[in-house]
Amino acid sequence: MESFFTTSDKIQHIIKSFNLTKTLFVSSIIIGDPHTGKKSLARYLFPHAPLVSGLNQDAVKKALEESDELIITDFEKLSNQNNFDFSNKRIIATANYVGNSSVIDDLFAFIYTMPTLLERPDDVQYLKKRFIKEALSTLMIDAQNIEEKNIPLNLSMNSKSLKKSIYLHLTKHSMDNADIENVIYQHIFKYLDGNDGYREYLGLYEKPLIKAGLKKYGSQLQLSKILGINRNTLRKKIHEYNID
Amino acid sequence: MNINFEAFVEWDNSPFILFNNSGKIIYLNNAAEILFGYVSKQELYDIALSYAPQNFGYRTTSLTLTYDSFLFYAITVGYENENEISIRLYNTPRIKPTRKLETDKFITTDINILLEANIALFKTKNSNPLKLLTDQDLPAFKMDQNNFSKLLRKTLNAFRASDSIDISLKLLIGQHVIIENKKEPIVQLAIKANGRYSDTDGEIELVAAQSQIKSLLKERSITLEIPLIQ
Repeated sequence: MESFFTTSDKIQHIIKSFNLTKTLFVSSIIIGDPHTGKKSLARYLFPHAPLVSGLNQDAVKKALEESDELIITDFEKLSNQNNFDFSNKRIIATANYVGNSSVIDDLFAFIYTMPTLLERPDDVQYLKKRFIKEALSTLMIDAQNIEEKNIPLNLSMNSKSLKKSIYLHLTKHSMDNADIENVIYQHIFKYLDGNDGYREYLGLYEKPLIKAGLKKYGSQLQLSKILGINRNTLRKKIHEYNID
Repeated sequence: MNINFEAFVEWDNSPFILFNNSGKIIYLNNAAEILFGYVSKQELYDIALSYAPQNFGYRTTSLTLTYDSFLFYAITVGYENENEISIRLYNTPRIKPTRKLETDKFITTDINILLEANIALFKTKNSNPLKLLTDQDLPAFKMDQNNFSKLLRKTLNAFRASDSIDISLKLLIGQHVIIENKKEPIVQLAIKANGRYSDTDGEIELVAAQSQIKSLLKERSITLEIPLIQ
């Protein structure tokens, strides 16, 4: 059975409540932002229940006729919610938002709210470790070159953005010159047109070069020496690219 | 013809009490015995005196009396000598539920589990201290699990900002409710606090009525009288 990791008090209470009502015929709904683990939680609690998505109206209808225990994801996508009869069935629904609150209130005995990852710092650390491990193995990167604490964590879209920020960071930090050249090649191949292409796409190389150089060496004088170009040329370029 | 009517009075559903002239109870029937859990002897004696007929005989007065969940619409006070006075209180008929209970669809349930699950749900949103006094020996009984859970959620939700919430669950000894011509015992769930929200009182009453549960909504408490159908 897949496990569900959390240290959040709120989710512990949700799990407790579900465990108590597991054998009862009550309908429950977990409402929360996308990618907060609603579906994983439902799956973890009811590993054998059939699962249908609210995106498929007919499948939900059919599943309701066939089974007494059912997980319905994306409940907010269903259009005829108030026609459902959940009596004497064990329904576990998940939804990204409430939608029609009086219908939800009428249909479901248990209405849970899933906290976002921002409210669950411990869970973020756990997921971060898991995603890094997964990414390292997928991208076949040597773990030793990675400083975990330097990875910026984006929680704006919960686990989705968290995962993306980890994959992006690890991808960026594992590229060699050939990879970078390849990325630029693909990009230019796709977008190059117009009549000022040379100047436009040179920036793709010059801008990060100067930004990184300034950050690393502090002064323009120092950097112009490192780059081997005239200080005035450097100043002109800084102005041209609006670099502070 | 010589019939002893005492048993009829004894088992009458309306309370009947006989006082002596110093307010002491000489006789009371079963219904009155339960009523005295909610009203003092003195109060009913005072009422008897106030509504007594001017001369020997009997007088019936229409009035509304409410003692907790007991509602009366009239009383008859009478005396035939200087030593005894009797009072009978007439039960207000309960409104017949329009929806018939589909008890065959009910599932035998341990109410303590549902209560605990709802408390866990409540705790996902509120951190208010909560005291629970329950009778773990309550037998499992039949209910509409979904509807009853909904009722519990709404009831607890009325206490979402209350401090020191006290929840008690117990069997009401000696009290019964008639459901589909069968006498059923009553389980009482009482929730008390320093105050509560009343915005959803209408919904609570409605959902309770759907399961033939009597709801008593007061300023600081909600009491549910749940039929124990087995």
